[in-house]
Amino acid sequence: MKIRSTLLSTGWLSLVGVLLAGCQPQQRPEPLQQGLIYCSEGNPESFNPQLGTSGTTIDATAAQLYDRLLDYDADEKRFLPALATDWQVLDDGHRYRFHLRHDVQFHHTDYFSPSRTFNADDVLFSFRRWLDKNSAYHRVNGGSYPFFTATGLDQLITAVTKVDDYTVDIELQYSDSSFLANLASDFAIILSAEYAQQLQANGYPERIDRLPIGTGPFVFEQFRKDVLIRYQRNPDYWREGPYIEQLVYSITPNANKRMLKLLTGECDVIPYPLISEIDTLVDNRSIDVSSEISPNVAFWAFNTERPPFDDARVRRALSYAINQAAIIQAIYYGNAKQADSLLPQTSWAFANVSEAYEYNPARARQLLDEAGYGRLSIDIWAMPVQRAYNPNAYRMAELIQADLARIGVDAHIISYEWNTFRRRLARGEHDSVLIGWSADNADPDNFFRPLLSCAAVATGNNRANWCNAAFDNIIFDAISSSDREQRQRLYDRAQRLVAEQMPLVPIAHSLRYQASQASISGIKPPAYGGISFRQARIDRAATEEQ
Amino acid sequence: MLFFTLRRLLLLLITLLILTLVSFTLMHLYPGDTIVNMTGIRTTDPLFYEQLVQQRQLDENLLVQYVNYLTHLLQGDWGQSLVTNQAVANSALPILMATIELCLLAMLVAMVLGIPLGVLAAVKRGSWLDKLIVMKSLTGYSIPVFWLAQLLILLFAVQLNWLPITGQLNPLYDISVNTGSVLIDVMLSEQPYRWSALLDALQHLLLPVVVLAMMPMTMLIRIMRNAMLDVLKRNYIKAARARGLSESRLLWKHALPNAMQPLVRQLGFQFSLLLTNAIVTEVIFNWPGMGSWLVKGIFERDYPVIQGCLISLALFVLVVNTLVELYHAWRYPQVRQELYAES
Repeated sequence: MKIRSTLLSTGWLSLVGVLLAGCQPQQRPEPLQQGLIYCSEGNPESFNPQLGTSGTTIDATAAQLYDRLLDYDADEKRFLPALATDWQVLDDGHRYRFHLRHDVQFHHTDYFSPSRTFNADDVLFSFRRWLDKNSAYHRVNGGSYPFFTATGLDQLITAVTKVDDYTVDIELQYSDSSFLANLASDFAIILSAEYAQQLQANGYPERIDRLPIGTGPFVFEQFRKDVLIRYQRNPDYWREGPYIEQLVYSITPNANKRMLKLLTGECDVIPYPLISEIDTLVDNRSIDVSSEISPNVAFWAFNTERPPFDDARVRRALSYAINQAAIIQAIYYGNAKQADSLLPQTSWAFANVSEAYEYNPARARQLLDEAGYGRLSIDIWAMPVQRAYNPNAYRMAELIQADLARIGVDAHIISYEWNTFRRRLARGEHDSVLIGWSADNADPDNFFRPLLSCAAVATGNNRANWCNAAFDNIIFDAISSSDREQRQRLYDRAQRLVAEQMPLVPIAHSLRYQASQASISGIKPPAYGGISFRQARIDRAATEEQ
Repeated sequence: MLFFTLRRLLLLLITLLILTLVSFTLMHLYPGDTIVNMTGIRTTDPLFYEQLVQQRQLDENLLVQYVNYLTHLLQGDWGQSLVTNQAVANSALPILMATIELCLLAMLVAMVLGIPLGVLAAVKRGSWLDKLIVMKSLTGYSIPVFWLAQLLILLFAVQLNWLPITGQLNPLYDISVNTGSVLIDVMLSEQPYRWSALLDALQHLLLPVVVLAMMPMTMLIRIMRNAMLDVLKRNYIKAARARGLSESRLLWKHALPNAMQPLVRQLGFQFSLLLTNAIVTEVIFNWPGMGSWLVKGIFERDYPVIQGCLISLALFVLVVNTLVELYHAWRYPQVRQELYAES
């Protein structure tokens, strides 16, 4: 009897021993050597960035699966050729001619084998998908292209024509200085026309956004909702890279868990580490923390279609009521700049209008009395996810709630799951909302038209539902001019108008943080748009020898 | 026995029918459009909408609607998810398997450790060992699952870095999901690295299984100890001892088999408790099972998914309970007699 139980317990012990021994990182099995795990904060809405503006979707898809006609180099502040090798501005800025790159392969997968390389037909198809309401694919998967509607690209472009197989002309209604910047953004990606045709012939057009085909550095392999996205290296990629064999997005919405998984080595790279823990991470030698000044803004938008927010005095009063300096300390731990305008201080068109956003509860109460509101009760919607611009919207809402109570305003905080939250916001069901914006390109226009133009009201991206004819005129004048001084004057006026009308209160411009294992290099937190793994490198041996 | 089996199966069937009645009622009570809640299809095309209403007979009376609903359920048409547009019934199977794997392993661990410890405590009644086991099992019983999970994660994963925190497998192992049970999937796969993947899967399983096993294990220890004490007092044990049977033979041949009877009866109930804890455990460890799916479905107001979860979970509990009862009745015939008041 004794012998048997001893045998049994030795068996157990050795099993536990084997289990634990396997954890030592001495020899990593082959797929683990050159695979990278990025712990993303949520599920992508689809695999086509044309369809949304969500940062999570962009991070997961844009730079990995697709290429654009041109890229923007944030350091050098200039445009770089991508799928277009060069371009000319013709007819006084009314026509752009793009020369396309030869021998670019589309992805080879289980579900599609391309018979030809990239050419003008693919550009035509990709642009017409969002541009032409009559194109066969326009209505597939919702038929809504918020970035293009909000920036007015769908109105600006009058025609996309094929000159020959490798030359495309884009004609514009008027000259627009932000046009190239918009084409270089993560949304203006190139899809495969051949794949679309094949799907349509088989009767599954909706698969184009679920089983993606692009020209990008990684090939789609698998998506399990709430679990992972798996990409493999594209062996036929047309330019340098990628250097890693496999790229996996491990979906981890909980920010604490993301941090812990980075510490245990289950994640190689994480976005949005907890700002309160950044100092501890910086001290950890096996972990690198990097940051980028990403032009972004966190703001509190009022739904100006609903009383009492239809009265500019109420909106200004609420702005005076909140203590922004305290918010910067409590939410960002000082890792952000208090907003002095809608535009970040780093933008060339920045105008300081900070007096409109100062903390002055007495003035707030006075304005509310003038407007005839004694006690007021409002809802604040707080987004449920962390973004670079706002790491904790719910906590911010609580601070604002406390500030508002001091001037006799009752605030209720409301939150939903992220995709539901965005859907309801777009329908305008909110009173006011704490949300924000990360710029997609370097042009200051990207802070105005997508956020506050009348066109953005229609797409539901104008969180304030604020449509002001004078403001629309100013920003349209600003984009039709290419003279920087004149544009600066116009944007100056635009910022003053926003401060005066107060459709939203800009709160902070923050840094975008990213933390990764020290063995990983070549991934910078993106200044504009989404993260890219094209130049990521892994050197596990170096760190393990230390 | 045959009659007993039929009775049990009939009871199972009736319970399931009541369950579908409840879920059918819920479909009408959930906010939003009933047809969207049932099918998960959002359409702006009035013709297609009309077609769906016809197909589901929603313009008829409630009885016809219910029969129609039941037919769809039985044919495996559980609607599609409002979020992913995937058929719920197809997604449900691997997800349910992930939960079953976790629960069965936890139950196994609970039994393998709980029963011997319970016997040991009973045999050494009153000794320091007995007191230690009883005390520890009481402590284990009173620690909430979510707290225990966090403690173990902090100790074994974060501090010692021996075990991973979440998931079923290191995501870099490209193992396709066939059954949903990670151990079976890994063994079915043709990958050259499947042995290291298997080891990795076992490491991932260890913490959730231990956390989940804790509660039933402490229960089993106490049930086993009481049952054993009860049996050891019986006259036939005294008689056997008087006849000079060795202590170990007495224990294994005479006491234990009889003491197992109340334990087996409890197993079904313990399993239902285990499943409740499994939901919490799955959420904490990101285990892609029914619990995570249900919680996510509730957050996303994905009614077809919520319905799919409820039906699969209930089905699982009921089937396990019925099986345990059948085994119990087959193994201990006196139970059947008690049931019919036969002497």
